Amino acid sequence: MSAQIPGSRSGAASSSKPLLELRGVTAAYGGIQVLHGVDLEVPEGAVLALLGPNGAGKTTTISVACGLMEPTAGKVYMAGADVTGVGAEELARRGVVTVPEGKGIFPNLTVKENLLMATYAGVDMDHVEAVAYEQFPRLGERRTQVAGTLSGGEQQMLAMARGLAVNPAVLLLDELSMGLAPLVVEELYGIVARIARTGTSILVVEQFARTVLGVADLAAVMVNGRVRAVGRPSEIENELSAAYFGV
Amino acid sequence: MRGIEGAQEVVKIVVTVSLMVALIFVALWIWPEDQAHPLGNLVSTGELKVAGVTLTGQRLLTIGTAIVVAIVLRFILRGTRLGIAMRAVVDDRSLLKLNGGRPDRTSMLSWALGASLAAVSGVLLASEQAPSVIPLTLLVVNAYAAAVVGRLRSIPGAFAGSIVLGLAISYVGAYTPADAAWGPIALDNLQRAVPAIMLFLVILAQPQVRLRAHSLQRARRPMPVPNQRLAAIGGLVLVATVVGIGSLMSGPDQNTLLKGFGFAIATLSLVPLTGYSGQISLAQLTFTGIGAVVMASWGASGDVFWVFVAVAVCSAVGALVALPALRLSGIYLALATAAFAIFCYWMVFQQQDVMPGSTASVPYLKIGPLEVGSDFGQLVVLAVAFAVIANVLVALRRSAWGRRLTAMRDSPVACATLGLNLMSTKVGVFALSAAIAGAGGALAGRTFVVDDFGLDQSLPITMLAVVGGIGSVGGALLGGLLLGVAPIATTALAANAIGVFRVLQRLGHPGDLGHAGLHGDRPRAHPRRCRSRHRGRLPGLLPLREAIAAAIVAAAALWLAARTELIANWGLFAAVVVLAFAVLPVLPAILPPPGENRRGRVGPTAVWLVVLLAVTALIPWENAIGSTGFRLIAILGWTVLGALTTLGILGLDPTGRLNVSGASPDHIGLDSSLGDAEAMVAAAEVGVDEELLSVPTPVALEVLRGGGDR
Repeated sequence: MSAQIPGSRSGAASSSKPLLELRGVTAAYGGIQVLHGVDLEVPEGAVLALLGPNGAGKTTTISVACGLMEPTAGKVYMAGADVTGVGAEELARRGVVTVPEGKGIFPNLTVKENLLMATYAGVDMDHVEAVAYEQFPRLGERRTQVAGTLSGGEQQMLAMARGLAVNPAVLLLDELSMGLAPLVVEELYGIVARIARTGTSILVVEQFARTVLGVADLAAVMVNGRVRAVGRPSEIENELSAAYFGV
Repeated sequence: MRGIEGAQEVVKIVVTVSLMVALIFVALWIWPEDQAHPLGNLVSTGELKVAGVTLTGQRLLTIGTAIVVAIVLRFILRGTRLGIAMRAVVDDRSLLKLNGGRPDRTSMLSWALGASLAAVSGVLLASEQAPSVIPLTLLVVNAYAAAVVGRLRSIPGAFAGSIVLGLAISYVGAYTPADAAWGPIALDNLQRAVPAIMLFLVILAQPQVRLRAHSLQRARRPMPVPNQRLAAIGGLVLVATVVGIGSLMSGPDQNTLLKGFGFAIATLSLVPLTGYSGQISLAQLTFTGIGAVVMASWGASGDVFWVFVAVAVCSAVGALVALPALRLSGIYLALATAAFAIFCYWMVFQQQDVMPGSTASVPYLKIGPLEVGSDFGQLVVLAVAFAVIANVLVALRRSAWGRRLTAMRDSPVACATLGLNLMSTKVGVFALSAAIAGAGGALAGRTFVVDDFGLDQSLPITMLAVVGGIGSVGGALLGGLLLGVAPIATTALAANAIGVFRVLQRLGHPGDLGHAGLHGDRPRAHPRRCRSRHRGRLPGLLPLREAIAAAIVAAAALWLAARTELIANWGLFAAVVVLAFAVLPVLPAILPPPGENRRGRVGPTAVWLVVLLAVTALIPWENAIGSTGFRLIAILGWTVLGALTTLGILGLDPTGRLNVSGASPDHIGLDSSLGDAEAMVAAAEVGVDEELLSVPTPVALEVLRGGGDR
């Protein structure tokens, strides 16, 4: 029976120590409990895809991990240190970069001003600009344009540029593909793979599994506020279809 | 301002406005209005002649400061990380956090920057304009008129706007002599109305706000749909109470209550407008004024026909104001209505033809042969009118149109895509709201002066409507009455109105802080504490015949005691407050509905309640405390104390949770607040031991369910 218990060390990459770890996390919006004891580990340097249907608690898991939401119970560890209850801004300064669902930019600031906000994490502006414009030349052309007037793909690139430039320890990505064309999504996941190669641990939340599973080392399936299974992408396919189709 | 982050726009605006009102009161307290505070020039020497115009040193200083401030501000906001972060906070607060910025500190700095700039302007203005609290505060209209030119974003725009405004004020002043008139309309106050006119025109010239599909706030607490039966009973109780209390009151007190009810109806007019449909208006008393003026000048006989005329006129004016306001929302709408209020104050109510001698005397009501002859009679009329309008509003909220209003508040985009005509809905609700406010004026039965209809009078109406719980008819009554009684209540109470209301709300709804008022419609408390809302809540009063009968008996006994002068009027008032907020909420526990058990220690509580009421009624409040304001505060404090003691005796804690002694495992996490020791005992009973506590919760649960091994 205990084999089915989520989070019990069954993963493949469990040889390296986890960089981000959630232990028995519960969280609630008002009186409505959303997470019922989530256990999740992102091993150092690995990409973990968190998959699951609507309302499973994926975004809430990210909110807890990035410090925007305080869990009602349970612990969050970063590189072995207990960071439960540490604010989002503090985590960001310690090298956690979060790209939230569909709105990773400040729409009324220019592209350049948006990039300036990344410097709170301790990198200098010249470096941020150099990396961003090299990676996404289109952003370079539009550095004085107001970010709200960029196309959806360009906005997501701008959000991702921050992840690239800061060289974070942990990158949390929420629904990167939302509302974007498949080609753009491919391109963005190419970037994710490249960031992963630099040794950054990545937790990526997706509803549509196919693209992200090509990039991920590990995948976790989440249903009704619990992690139902963790494993290599090939291992969890059954769980995944069960989660989506309710089989 | 952190607490209101993420709240509805209306709530944000109102909280800011109430801060302003409170500061006005504080300022008046420190610097009484009847004393002059003359100030000299900062720079008394030096003059410059430019093209025949003499510039004093003071004015040169002002102009120089303005230019320097504008340049520095632009540099801060565009060129520094701090300034850009200030703009980023406006866009997305939590994203700034995710970037590592500190939004709380950043917004604090931008408030501080704004406030210090305002202070600089105050220092510079001091010699030009006699420093007096309310005119200086209302300079905010001039400031907005200028800033809106730059769409509240651009500094050069604001600069240009202020130059145009300043020139306009000077030219109008120079070219309209004291007795200037346009036909029958006197123009002598035109100069003072210029900022409002400019503000209104500039706002109208703004491009239409694009309907934006913003994501819904998920955690928003739905506003409960009111219960018609409850509203009907509430109306009856209200009228009965007013008859009961009013008959005991002296003439001046009746007059005060009359005033309070006038305000209560004006506040009620915001229930459909702001509460149901999410629009905002800062000009409700202007409509009240129009209603009063129509009644005073045409319907001097008091015939009920003219009340309907007044209501019709107000509703037409309301619709007219709404037409341009249709394209606006949020702060622009608030500003446009504020401009309308100021315009009407200077250009309409100040006309001698409109309010002769600057007063409007609204007659008592006359319906056919029935004629109201006293303040008391008119008071009953107002109470009936309030009850009727409130019930109509509740019925409206429950109708298809009411649902449409709420839908418009929740998502204008969704409504538009569903083919709902936003325009007619908005015009309709503005007209309705103006009509109700106008009815409050036409039925006021007292004499108004011009100053009753100023913007500074309307602001508290909007404020108290929200504080009392916008969207709820009872909140409007409470808010309006408090405002009407404010002259008695003195400054302290008015400044502390928010605090008082929160106390009242807590007492009125033990264990339920979910009132849609200043709580900002979002769960702010720690989620674990929110959960307690669902526990141990007492049932509503309505199905409890015995409890209601007991309340009526108590009220009748108090009334008789006051009528026979056994107790003083203030004793009666205090006892009624205690009855409403400390006794009624716990009655359901003592006299439960059929089929439910009594909860807590019933016998001692019942005795205590009777003693509490008697003691409250017999305390010589009037002799003990000289100032009316402090007396009210003392009564409220006494009520809180009484309520807490009652709950203590009953065995309920103030949040409405039942204290369970002798822990039963059935109660864990359900209906009880257990101490640590009790929890351990209970845990041991179900087989939780030290070892089990050390493993992750899911594993432990699995073990407890009898499945897994350790």
